[in-house]
Amino acid sequence: MDRGWYFRLVIVVGTSALGFLALWPSVDRWLPCPDIVKEAFENQINPGLDIKGGLRLMYEVEVDEYIRDRRDRIAEQVQRQCGVLIGIVPEEEVDDIDKATLTAIQQRCKVERVDKDGDAVRAIRITFSNEEDAQKLSKTWVKDYFRDLRVASGVGDLVVDLHMREEQLANMRETAVRQSERTITNRIDNLGVLEPTVIARPNDGDIIIEIPGAQESSFERIKSIISRTAQLQFQIVDDESDSRSIFTAPPEGIYLNADSQTFAEAFGENARDQLRSYIATLPVPDDHELAIGRQEADPERGGEGWRTYYLYRVADVTGEDLDDASVGFDPQSGSPEVDFMMNTRGASRMGDLTGRSIGKRMAIVLDDRVESAPVIQGQIGARGRITLGAYLDRNQLLQEAKDLVVVLQAGALPAPLRPANEQLIGPTLGQDSVQKGALAAMVGVLLVLIFMAVYYQVGGLVADAMVLLNLQLLLGTMSGIGATLTLPGVAAIALTVGMAVDANVLITERIREELRLGKSPRSAVEQGYARAYSSVFDSQLTTAIAGIVLWQFGTGPIKGFATMLLIGIGTSLFTGTFCSKVLFDWLVRGARVQRLRVG
Amino acid sequence: MELIKPGSYFDFMKYRGPVITVLGLMATLSLVSLFYPGPNYGIDFAGGTEVQLAFRGDTTPNEVRKALEDSGYSRPDVISVEGEPNQYIIRVQEVSSLPEEQVDKLREAATALLGEDVIREMKVSPGGDKITLRLSGEIHEQQLQEALEAAGARVRSLNLLTGSRETRYEVHLVGVADELTSQLREKFGDRAPQGALRVEWVGPKAGEQLRDAAIQSLLYAIAFIMLYVAFRFDLRFAPGGVIAMLHDALITLGIYVLLQKEVNLTTVAALLTIMGYSINDTIVVYDRIRENMVRVRDKSLRELINISTSQMLSRTIVTSLTTLLSVSAFFFLGTGVIADIAFALGVGIVIGTISSIFVAAPITELMDRRFFNRARS
Repeated sequence: MDRGWYFRLVIVVGTSALGFLALWPSVDRWLPCPDIVKEAFENQINPGLDIKGGLRLMYEVEVDEYIRDRRDRIAEQVQRQCGVLIGIVPEEEVDDIDKATLTAIQQRCKVERVDKDGDAVRAIRITFSNEEDAQKLSKTWVKDYFRDLRVASGVGDLVVDLHMREEQLANMRETAVRQSERTITNRIDNLGVLEPTVIARPNDGDIIIEIPGAQESSFERIKSIISRTAQLQFQIVDDESDSRSIFTAPPEGIYLNADSQTFAEAFGENARDQLRSYIATLPVPDDHELAIGRQEADPERGGEGWRTYYLYRVADVTGEDLDDASVGFDPQSGSPEVDFMMNTRGASRMGDLTGRSIGKRMAIVLDDRVESAPVIQGQIGARGRITLGAYLDRNQLLQEAKDLVVVLQAGALPAPLRPANEQLIGPTLGQDSVQKGALAAMVGVLLVLIFMAVYYQVGGLVADAMVLLNLQLLLGTMSGIGATLTLPGVAAIALTVGMAVDANVLITERIREELRLGKSPRSAVEQGYARAYSSVFDSQLTTAIAGIVLWQFGTGPIKGFATMLLIGIGTSLFTGTFCSKVLFDWLVRGARVQRLRVG
Repeated sequence: MELIKPGSYFDFMKYRGPVITVLGLMATLSLVSLFYPGPNYGIDFAGGTEVQLAFRGDTTPNEVRKALEDSGYSRPDVISVEGEPNQYIIRVQEVSSLPEEQVDKLREAATALLGEDVIREMKVSPGGDKITLRLSGEIHEQQLQEALEAAGARVRSLNLLTGSRETRYEVHLVGVADELTSQLREKFGDRAPQGALRVEWVGPKAGEQLRDAAIQSLLYAIAFIMLYVAFRFDLRFAPGGVIAMLHDALITLGIYVLLQKEVNLTTVAALLTIMGYSINDTIVVYDRIRENMVRVRDKSLRELINISTSQMLSRTIVTSLTTLLSVSAFFFLGTGVIADIAFALGVGIVIGTISSIFVAAPITELMDRRFFNRARS
């Protein structure tokens, strides 16, 4: 045997050993796995909901929050459209009103948001300062420009109340739940091969999520990723206005810092909540808001630190305009951060915002929390990054950055989620079904093995060895990436085995043809392989194309199916062509068989 | 052992007319079956009723599942709740859906009794066992219950949800869950659950999002496969492979629908597998045709197709056999979902084998005659 053959043998044996090691943690129950292997291969095959059960989560979508949010946006449009109504701005410029004009409009016709009857009615109130302007408003005007609103009272009066239309409210509730479902599914898909079940029930305003598996340690992380709203906003920090008067006497534990710009800060375990309830009581002007972000810990005052930021309320750029996000590292400190790309609209808005705010600070606000507030050095375009604050240790930061990327890529939830119910559930299929399924898989594989050995004799035995190796590599890969295995998945594996022998069949048939032409075993094997390669590659590659597309565009179960398909193609190509050749070569060159019995 | 004698030559092309006619008829029939009688959608697509029950005596999930199956529920999910012995979440396909006119009648009657502006919103859950009402002003439970019952609803319980000015009621109606519980009571006697802890309509797992994603990815997959085949072989080959692939999936689905087997997410996976198998099978034959086109120069494409298909026949049959062997184990030994998926795969493999011989290559020949010969002459 030449050196090339030994080299190939090493690859085959090495891959097989690697496959076994990756699989080992999954079969720990039957074959105790040493800790060192477990550390190297953290993942294992995740039994599916039908086999093992898992975690059942129920979330209520806070639909009213979504409706309030929509109402707020509509209110802003109403304010602008009022400018057209009273003749201050021409119709075409309604989307492009500068601040001074807006103030002028507000003086003659002020639009406010009102919550009536507890929180049940989300209303918009227009207050005109003179009769003449008030006469201009009519029911048709409202109908023409705002199909979500109806006039509740006061046409022609100075004060007009607009309510959201009932049928639109019903639509919005449905939209909020559907969008949440989509976002949650995307987030879990981004996490990898978990094959969750996500069921939305718009009528009840809730979402049921079932996550397979037994690893309770990962449930916490999944839960926090699911329920994170992930609203990203870029707001300018107002460091010029005097905000001192806003901060009325702070309670104990909250300190006012008045170096250059006044802000409140707090330290210790409950600092964040403490600070949050304090700022809720403060009289902040309508066009501003106070937000909270991390502050360097103060060893004297103890624990983590939090501070307030005084921000302009307008968020010109939001996470909606995000195109992509990825984990990056700060070039100087090497600390993990999140890099993002804006789409065209976002880039141009970001350019405008940063271009006119050079020297000011821009707060990157994620879910009402200021992640960082760097000074704008120059105009920024499509790319940006979110530093996560240097107040956590590196591993925490890295985890945080990864999770943030998952949620940013999947998009924001339209409304916050409230956990309603959480249960660990048993398998959906009975023990007997699972046992029968496993038995069927074994019988199926065995039948294939026997058939091949009888039909192709030596060639069949080679194929059988490859089937077993293929099975081991397939399961090893699944274990290595922590794939979820359901009972239909078991059937799919058995079928893959049936299909994977195709490569062996093609090759053996070719060797047979060559032998019939009177070639020696050695050259028949060479020729057989050389000729069969193209069929094997073409047929597998075409299937792989379908697999890649399904993996890229599919979601949930389709994605899971595509993953299995691709792994199967990879392992059967490897075993069917590369590994089987090593065995055949040994037969015809090492063992020098005079007659190659391939049936 | 040899199934097909080496050097055999079969004139497949001679029979392509009748075979394609039969397959075409089957495909048409399958297409029709999608509308009439229409697929029997399982819980994954149609949703169902979910009931949480606490049994009073010791039971096992299997026992409960068996009892439900005996009562005529098809494939109920019986899921134990961890940490709560003898508590189960049961999911069945059945829903107690209210007919549209009944819902309208309810709405009218309620409006007549309570007044025009009182009802802000009235929704009947798709499961038909719950009505959600948003009312302005205070309506007494008694009054509401009487109004609904007068309109023909069988009210089980009323639930007042929020206070303030808006009143939200959840009205639970007598439905599948009550029937199910009483059936269990008959079977389990003392051990049976008192009443349902929770009854809900559970929405489909495979919603619009999944459907959209599936259709989108399928179209892309077809486009990319055609591109690859057109590039690796040539343009004549691309349509045949894809048509054969879709044809196989369609006929399999048709047979499935005609037998009124439950269509679930697993069925979708099976169909995707069949498509993968089909294109694989076709490409192998194509590959031999291409090889022979280079080696044998004095034969027509028709003869080349016959020669190539004959040469590959042994392989085609052996691969189909091995795949059928592993599938048949699941069909005969497996239960429920597994037996169904095995059935679909078995049908698909047989159809796929026939189509790779009689559909894909003949279409290539047709393309050749139609478009390429004309260009040549």
